Amino acid sequence: MDASDATDGVKADSLLLSVAEHLKVPLTTIARQAELGQLTGQVELTDAAAIRTQAAAALTLVDSYLLGLELMRSQTSLQLEPVSVSSVLMDTAHELDRFARQYQVELEVAVGGRFGPVMSNPRGLRAALLSLGFALVEAQATQEQKVPRRVVMAIHRTPSGIVTGMYGQYEELSADRWKAALGLVGKAKQPIKSLVAGSGAGLFVADTILRSMDTRLRVGRYLHQSGLAATLQPSRQLSFV
Amino acid sequence: MSHVLLLEPNTLLAKVYTQALEHAGHSVAHVAAAQEAVNSADKRAPDVVIVELQLPHHSGLEFLHEFRSYAEWLNTPVVVNTSLLAAQLPLAIEPLMRDLGVREILYKPRTSLQDLVRVAREYVAPA
Repeated sequence: MDASDATDGVKADSLLLSVAEHLKVPLTTIARQAELGQLTGQVELTDAAAIRTQAAAALTLVDSYLLGLELMRSQTSLQLEPVSVSSVLMDTAHELDRFARQYQVELEVAVGGRFGPVMSNPRGLRAALLSLGFALVEAQATQEQKVPRRVVMAIHRTPSGIVTGMYGQYEELSADRWKAALGLVGKAKQPIKSLVAGSGAGLFVADTILRSMDTRLRVGRYLHQSGLAATLQPSRQLSFV
Repeated sequence: MSHVLLLEPNTLLAKVYTQALEHAGHSVAHVAAAQEAVNSADKRAPDVVIVELQLPHHSGLEFLHEFRSYAEWLNTPVVVNTSLLAAQLPLAIEPLMRDLGVREILYKPRTSLQDLVRVAREYVAPA
């Protein structure tokens, strides 16, 4: 890559940044118009709720993308602090639930046991899990199967740390495919078409944010289901016996 | 009836906010720019001001400095409702709230109409 390629890359990033910032306004307007329709009874309640949920999902992706881009451009890391991973996962599940129901996907939270705090950044972890969740719910809804469709949001302990991730019946997801997909971001329209029909932006945004917190998304398995997960390091703080 | 001064540059969004606030029983003066906001406040004193920081010409911050320089508007509750994330704010949150008397900072994409109405109700002095 020569200097002009690098300059073009920076310009493209800046342009995308402007586009993302700009998208917030029409998306917010759509969400609020739907809400007004609900309040005044001018729009069918279920339609309004669906519009709001979709707009909110898009706004979340835009925010996560902006965070990821900001981290990449500044080449900084998010400040790590002790975070309750269970609490972040529950919060994320709460936010994803309405979205999942629209796609007839059951969301299941599996937090068995006490995990104690992990070293992470609450804003970053939440943004990453949300982006991952929106992408995997959509992916689950497009899988050829299977009722009920289900995404399991789980935390479990391994020798290398506390693993938090999202899992489901994603038959064709493998470590090799994920690795290949990471290399195809920005080059292919469908970097991981065995999993998601579109660009899978949410997955790569989640990975970018996680990398700025000294971890990354990897293919993992949980109770015979496959998915994407990140390993977080326990915080060496007080612990209950 | 309490009077809300709404400083919002996007007219579609402003229309939605206005309808929601009126639906909740407030009267609303919508303006899209800082100078208009000063003129509007001069005509009818607002009970609460809702302001976006990103505006054409003068910024919302400039408006707030101007607004707070008049004794009669010194204690008028001001709520910032902006598309800027906390990290993008032109001033850190603390001085914004302390020096300019901003009561609350809302992140617009995540603020529902119900939240906006609640905030307007909360900061309006009882009639």
